[in-house]
Amino acid sequence: MDVEIQINNSPNANARFLTWSPASCRIRITDPAGAQGQGQPPMRISAKTTASGGSVVFRKGTTGAFSASLQLGVPVNGNWVSFFAAGQFGRASVSLNDVTIEARHGNGNKVVGSTPCTVRIRKNANNLTPAERDRFIAAFAQLNNAGLGRFADFRDMHTNVSSPQAHGAPGFLPWHRAYLLDLERELQAIDPSVALHYWRFDQGSPNIFKRDFLGESDNIGTVFFSATNPLQFWKTDGVTGINRRPFFNSNNPTGVRTEAQTLALGTAYPAFRTMEGNPHGSAHTSFGGSISSIGTAARDPLFFLLHCNVDRLWAKWQRNNNRFNPAVAASFDSGAWPIGHNLADTMWPWNGITGPPRPPTAPGGTMAPSPVVTAPGLSPRVRDSLDFQGKVSAAACMGFDYDDVPFS
Amino acid sequence: MTTSKTKKRGTKKSKPAKNSSAKRSPRAAFAVATNEKKSTAERAKAFVEAPLATIASDDTLQASLDVLRDRQQPIKVRLAALQSLQAATFSVIEFEPHREDYFATLRELVDDPDEELRQRVLGILARENDGYVQKRLLEGLQDPSKALVPPEKALQLLSYDVHAEAYPVAREILNAPPNPEAKREALRLLSADAKSAPVFEKLLRDKDEDRDIRQISAAALQSVKPKRFQEQARELLLDDNEYDDIQATALTALEQFGDEKAVGKDQQLLNRVDELGSSKSAKIKKSAKRFMSRYGK
Repeated sequence: MDVEIQINNSPNANARFLTWSPASCRIRITDPAGAQGQGQPPMRISAKTTASGGSVVFRKGTTGAFSASLQLGVPVNGNWVSFFAAGQFGRASVSLNDVTIEARHGNGNKVVGSTPCTVRIRKNANNLTPAERDRFIAAFAQLNNAGLGRFADFRDMHTNVSSPQAHGAPGFLPWHRAYLLDLERELQAIDPSVALHYWRFDQGSPNIFKRDFLGESDNIGTVFFSATNPLQFWKTDGVTGINRRPFFNSNNPTGVRTEAQTLALGTAYPAFRTMEGNPHGSAHTSFGGSISSIGTAARDPLFFLLHCNVDRLWAKWQRNNNRFNPAVAASFDSGAWPIGHNLADTMWPWNGITGPPRPPTAPGGTMAPSPVVTAPGLSPRVRDSLDFQGKVSAAACMGFDYDDVPFS
Repeated sequence: MTTSKTKKRGTKKSKPAKNSSAKRSPRAAFAVATNEKKSTAERAKAFVEAPLATIASDDTLQASLDVLRDRQQPIKVRLAALQSLQAATFSVIEFEPHREDYFATLRELVDDPDEELRQRVLGILARENDGYVQKRLLEGLQDPSKALVPPEKALQLLSYDVHAEAYPVAREILNAPPNPEAKREALRLLSADAKSAPVFEKLLRDKDEDRDIRQISAAALQSVKPKRFQEQARELLLDDNEYDDIQATALTALEQFGDEKAVGKDQQLLNRVDELGSSKSAKIKKSAKRFMSRYGK
C-alpha cells in the first residue's frame, strides 16, 4: 500500500511549511494493494522528529483539540481525506524538513507514506542556533547582493518621501506587517528554511551585536563583521557598510518600554498604537547611524529585526485582547485618516498607485506571492493585515507566526 | 571643540531615576523632563520615556527645543531631549507641523561646544541630506581648523549622500591619512565610485595593508566590478602565503555571490578549496565547507 500526503493541500515541495495556525492537509491512497478494512482502511497519522527539531500536531476538522496522532478512514478509491496540521507550540523547526509526517496503516508500524515538512516560525534572533543565524544572514546578504540585488526595492519603499504612507497614523502597524512579510517571502525565495527573526529591544541581546551576526560597532559607529560573515559585503545607496552606534552598553536600550508596559497601553487599538513613539521610535533612536532616521533606517538590516519585534508586540496584543477582526471597532482606529491608513484602503507600494497623495513611484511591484498561503493577496488592503493567523477566516492566514504567540 | 565646562543649571544629583514611572502619563513624564528642580537622571529618563509628548503641542515642542538649545542645561538632559524629538520624527504625520522648527534648531547646534551633541546633531542632519551640513563637513576636511568632528566621522557622515565633490578629498585622505580610521572611512565613501576600482584592487592585494582596509576593498570591488573581484578572489585563494581572514573573505564572496558556472568549472580552484577544508583555521574551514556544499561537493 502507498499513500500520498499533501501539506497545505499542495503537491509543491515549497508548500511544506507549517506555523502554529492550522494548515489544511490531505491524504489519499495511491496504491491500495494490501489494504485491510472495508472501503476505508484506517490510517494513523503522526510526526517523526528529532530531539531539537520541530513538532507537528493534528486534528480532523476546523475545531477541536490537536493531538500528536490522528486516526482517519481513507477510501481505497483514491479520494482525498482532509485533516489539519499545525506546529506544536514551542517546538519550531531548527532546519529545513526536520519533521516528517507519516502515515501507518491500521495498528501496524510500517510507514505507508510520508512527507517532510518544516515548522517555520519567527524567533528571538538572540536565541538562534549558529546554523539558523548563518542561513538568515546569508539570505539577507544575497537579497542585497553587494548593492546589486532586489533589496534595493525594500530600501526604496521606506524613505522620507514614502513615510506618510507608513507612519504617524493607524496604518503604521498594518503597513509594516505587510512590508516585513514581503521581505520575508523574498528571503524565503532564496532559502525556504528562513523566517524573519526579531530583536527584543527590551532585553539584552548580546548574540545579535557580534561580528558573526549583525556586527559590532566601533566608537564612531562603523560596524565590523567577521571574515566569514557575508554581511561584510552589504551595500546600500552606493556605499559599502553599515553605520550604527548604540547609545547603550552591552544590554538593551534604556528608556524603551518593556513588553509588559507596551501590552498594557490599552485594550483598544487607538491606545495601543501610541507604541509608535515608545517603544518603536525610542528603539530606533537608541542608536546613532542609519537606523535612527526614518529616511535611512532601512539601510540597516537591524531595522527589519526591530520592526519584527514591533509586529510581534502587536500580534501578542491582538491575542491578549482578541483584536483580529476588522469588524470589531477596538481592533482598529476608525475615522477619516490619510489615504493608506483606513481599513478599506489599499496599501502603497503593492497597489502600484503613484502620484499625489501617493508617492511618485512604487518600487518593488506587488506583494511577493507565497506557495503556502494566498493572503494577504498581491495588493493588500489595511484590513487584510489584521487576521494574520486566520482566526476569523482561515483564508486570511498570512503564513507566519512568532515563537511566543500561540494560535489557541 | 571640547565639552563645555560651564556650570550647569538643574544638575541636582540626589535622586536616581525611579522605576515607578512606567504608569505615568506622557504629559506627566514631560512635566518631569522640563522641570529643572528634578534630578538630571529623572529628567533624562522622562524625556526618553515619552517622545510623542514633545510634539503634543507647539508649546511642548518649543519647551523641548529650548532645553535642547540651552547650553546651561545638563548635557544628559539635552541629549535625552534630542533622542526623544528624533524618536517623534518617526510619527511623520504628527511631526510634520514641527519639522521646520526642529531642523532649524538642529542647524543652530552644529557648532555646539559639546562634541557628543554636535556629533549626533550632524548625524541627523547628514541623514536628511542637509546641504549646509554637507558643506560644513567638507570645509572641515579641507581645512582642519574648521572641522566640526574628526575627519573619519566627517567622511562617514558625508557617505549618507555621496556627491562627486567629496571624492577628491576622500582620495587625498586615502593617500595621506591622518589616522587609520580616516583611511577606512575614505575608502567606504569611495566605494560608491566605480572609477576607484583600481585603488580597491591594489589595496586588496597588498599584504602589508591593514586587514580591515583589505576587507572593505574586497566589498567595494565586488560591488563595482564583480567579475574583476572574482578573478582577484581566485588569486587570493590560490596563494599559499595569504592571510586566513582574507582567504575567508574571498571564499565567503565566491560562495555567496560568485558566478556559479565559472566557479563550478574551475577545477584548480575547487581542488584548492577542498584542500583549504582541512585548514587549521576555523574560519577557513567553515568558509571552505560552505563553498564546497554550494559547488557540489
